[in-house]
Amino acid sequence: MAAVSVETLPEQESAAVVDARRNRRNVAFGVFALLAVLAVVIEHEVPGWLDLDIQQRAQAAYKWTITNRQTSPLFTLFLEPVGNVLQWMFDVVMNVLEFLKWPGLVALTGAIGWRTGGLRAGIGGASAMLGVGMISNWDHAMITLAIMLVAVFIALVLGIPLGIWTSRSDRAERVVRILLDTAQVLPIFVYFSPVQVFFGIKVPPAIVVTVIYALPPAVRLTNLGLRNVPVVMNEVGESFGANSWQQLLKVQLPVARKAILLGLNQVIMMAFGVVVLASLLGTGDLGQDVLNALQKQKVGEAAAAGLGIVLLAISLDRITTGDRKHQFSRWSNLVPKVSRQAGQRIAVGLVAVVVLLAHVFDWTTFPSWLTIDVAAPINDAVTWVQDNFHDITQAISDFLVTNVIDPIYKFLLWLPWFLVVVAIAFIGFLSKGWRLATGVGLCMVLTAALGTIPGGVGRERIWDIAMNTLSQVLVAILLSVLIALPLGILAGRSDAFERFMRPFLDIAQVLPAFVYLIPVVFLFGVGRSAGVVACVIYAVPPCIRLTTLGMREVPYTPREAAISFGATGPQEMRMVQLPLARKSILLGINQTLMMVLATVIIAALIGAGGLGLVAYEATAKPNIKLGQGVTGGLAIVLLAIMLDRITQAWGTSKQGGNHQ
Amino acid sequence: MRSTGTKLLFAGVAIASLLAACGSDSESGSGGGEAITLAVNPWTGSAVNAYVAQAVIQANLGTTVKITEIDENATWVGMDDGSIDAVLEVWPSGHAADKKTYIEEKKSVVDMGLLGPKAKIGWYVPKFVIDEHPELATWEGFKDPELAKLFATAESGDLGQFTMGDPSYVTFDEQIIANLKLPLKYVVAGSEAALLTLIDQSAADKKPILIQFWQPHWKQSKVELVEVKLPDVTQECLDSAANADGGYACDYAVDDLFKAASAKLETKNAAAFNVLKKLSLTTDQQNEVAAMIDGEGMAPADAAKKWADANKDVWSAWLG
Repeated sequence: MAAVSVETLPEQESAAVVDARRNRRNVAFGVFALLAVLAVVIEHEVPGWLDLDIQQRAQAAYKWTITNRQTSPLFTLFLEPVGNVLQWMFDVVMNVLEFLKWPGLVALTGAIGWRTGGLRAGIGGASAMLGVGMISNWDHAMITLAIMLVAVFIALVLGIPLGIWTSRSDRAERVVRILLDTAQVLPIFVYFSPVQVFFGIKVPPAIVVTVIYALPPAVRLTNLGLRNVPVVMNEVGESFGANSWQQLLKVQLPVARKAILLGLNQVIMMAFGVVVLASLLGTGDLGQDVLNALQKQKVGEAAAAGLGIVLLAISLDRITTGDRKHQFSRWSNLVPKVSRQAGQRIAVGLVAVVVLLAHVFDWTTFPSWLTIDVAAPINDAVTWVQDNFHDITQAISDFLVTNVIDPIYKFLLWLPWFLVVVAIAFIGFLSKGWRLATGVGLCMVLTAALGTIPGGVGRERIWDIAMNTLSQVLVAILLSVLIALPLGILAGRSDAFERFMRPFLDIAQVLPAFVYLIPVVFLFGVGRSAGVVACVIYAVPPCIRLTTLGMREVPYTPREAAISFGATGPQEMRMVQLPLARKSILLGINQTLMMVLATVIIAALIGAGGLGLVAYEATAKPNIKLGQGVTGGLAIVLLAIMLDRITQAWGTSKQGGNHQ
Repeated sequence: MRSTGTKLLFAGVAIASLLAACGSDSESGSGGGEAITLAVNPWTGSAVNAYVAQAVIQANLGTTVKITEIDENATWVGMDDGSIDAVLEVWPSGHAADKKTYIEEKKSVVDMGLLGPKAKIGWYVPKFVIDEHPELATWEGFKDPELAKLFATAESGDLGQFTMGDPSYVTFDEQIIANLKLPLKYVVAGSEAALLTLIDQSAADKKPILIQFWQPHWKQSKVELVEVKLPDVTQECLDSAANADGGYACDYAVDDLFKAASAKLETKNAAAFNVLKKLSLTTDQQNEVAAMIDGEGMAPADAAKKWADANKDVWSAWLG
């Protein structure tokens, strides 16, 4: 008897647990069903009283700023000095660059790369820097470089302490995370005009804009790195009687070094991502070359300047990642090994000699015999593609708008607004539970509460415009995933294919979106299709990367086991490798989403309309439309947070749940 | 952590930078008063005015004239705080709100008078459209849904598509379409570059387009575009625009391009201020320099200098 009861007891218990869970689930489904009925019964459109009146407040604040920017202490005592310090920092860096002259900078890049990442990094960094001068305007590149260096420096000075703080307090982490999400997704167009009246024109606001955009990864990765420091390490530190500061400086930060360095790399990439937009502020740099060329439809010239920006980014990336794993590659066998100390001296000496020579022979301007014309071949290539493909691309474009984007958009508009809220909350519930359901539901209600904006005739509801953007985002994500997953899986299984893809991915990720907007317009026409295509071009690379990474991180043992049980290659992939890579692939989809949301804004410049256009109008006519731009920008942030939290929940909560 | 070598490297750079920092930053106009900064907005006409002014002022007053390429809206913020001294070509239609805020209310920017050339925004179709359907030369032709459908796209469905370019330009098109009850759908291309690409695409495919465009524009000499006649401008129409009541139903008014300067310029450099105030160019003169820049690929500064050398009689009137 006793033995039987011992055996049955846990079973009963688990049955009770299952029952209770089933009950809770039924209750939840009931609640959502009730809400859905309510949604259909109440007003179909967003009610007029649901309006936070953000628009007028933002416009009034902007007007106040314009009127008081020379007199208010906020400006004279705080913002103006900040602007001056930024300008001073920029001037110092510019002076250094001018003093080095171009040969000196190339040598310095090589020397730093060599000492931090090995000979290969040094040669890579130096040749990328030389390449900048070969294909684009060297003097303009130096302005871009100076802005980037100051902005990256500030992003690290602010970001690393913030990351340390958030790693120590969960509450701080939650608050800062929302701020960082906002910084990353809030369209630059929204705060473009305010930063000008805050910090003046040209360089200081450009640095501010870049810092806002580049700060998040510095905080995130420092936080992540510190949180992943093994407990044992901390205990060892404690047992040696280290105080909190010593613990941080001597134990935690060194252990988290790799994550922080990855953060630096991401900061650089993000910073370079805004070069072109920031140049609208009058920086006179490579970004402006891109814009000026586009204004005259010179795609080749725009691409040349854009590639200059890419090479500058690659050069900084090579010399800062400090990746020593290539140290002993075939390159380093060509030179005799030197000790660390001797190496440093050689590096310093080399740079000094080159700078000296540059001064003696006055190598100030980049020599024209070293430059190569990349604009003409690019123009030819683009023209060829345009002439040969534009019939088929135009047909695809029409199909996309008529049969995919428009039906989804019209369906979203046809749904009662509150039903959309309930449906999204329900998805949130299924993905993670009540907490997420409330969060994403609230995001949607807030979107509805952003009110209306004046259109050309009558007023338009932000909700309706948000549904327009949401339909484009959904289509873009779907297409990106459909394209990226097979390529990523293929690259995950074939080294040759991965090597083949790598340069394309690198360029697609760093090349300013502006460069390819014009060919996209020519091929797909002005409109939402062109916008979706631009989003896909930008979003596919990270998705491919993370899928490949996920496939490659799957340990070999389970795969081997499957094969030894007689699984064929495709079977093993489907049953073992893919399920195990699931988490990384879902993270890839999450990243895709963020890229799509960033690009859907810029897509307004090629006719995609939606929230991007509303936000852009804040830049285009700040005196009248800043307020409405703010509401459009907030709507994008709310959509982004909603989509991000849901897709992130897929990646974490049900891990391993779906294995056959 | 770091070895002495790296420290040395950084120290060397730091010292070098300090030396370099001390060396420069002491440039100032020799004799011609404080240096001034002129804005160039992203179109050739704007560059022509600024570089001609630079050539004349530097040669005759000895004042250093710096040129800043910058976005239109940022230009007003720059004139407000004095970091930009003047802009020589403002299209009034797009800047009514800036004029009110900075010139009339805050008085931080001053109106420097007319530049000379006039500009005109309007509705345009490619010439091949008019060749085939002469009735589309006026707005009444567009009342016919069948004709309007020639301009239909996937975006506009059964209606004809009307395309507007950069949202920072003034637009009454949505109101004109609604008030004249035309079967058209208003679509924003989002940027001038996208609009220009649309024009090229239309020319390549002989596909009709209806767009908001303007004179002067360099593209006008490359593609044959015809302006569609809209109802004449009336006082009622202008009032409607001023009150923003949504009742606008006529053509765009002619833009008299004007010059604007920071209110600080007059005390900063009165001589330069006076020259800029008197400066004026005719449309032909502006085009002459623009052709050297766009057509012959000359640098704007060189083109301006070449023109100034040949046209002393024009600019000597600005100096008196």
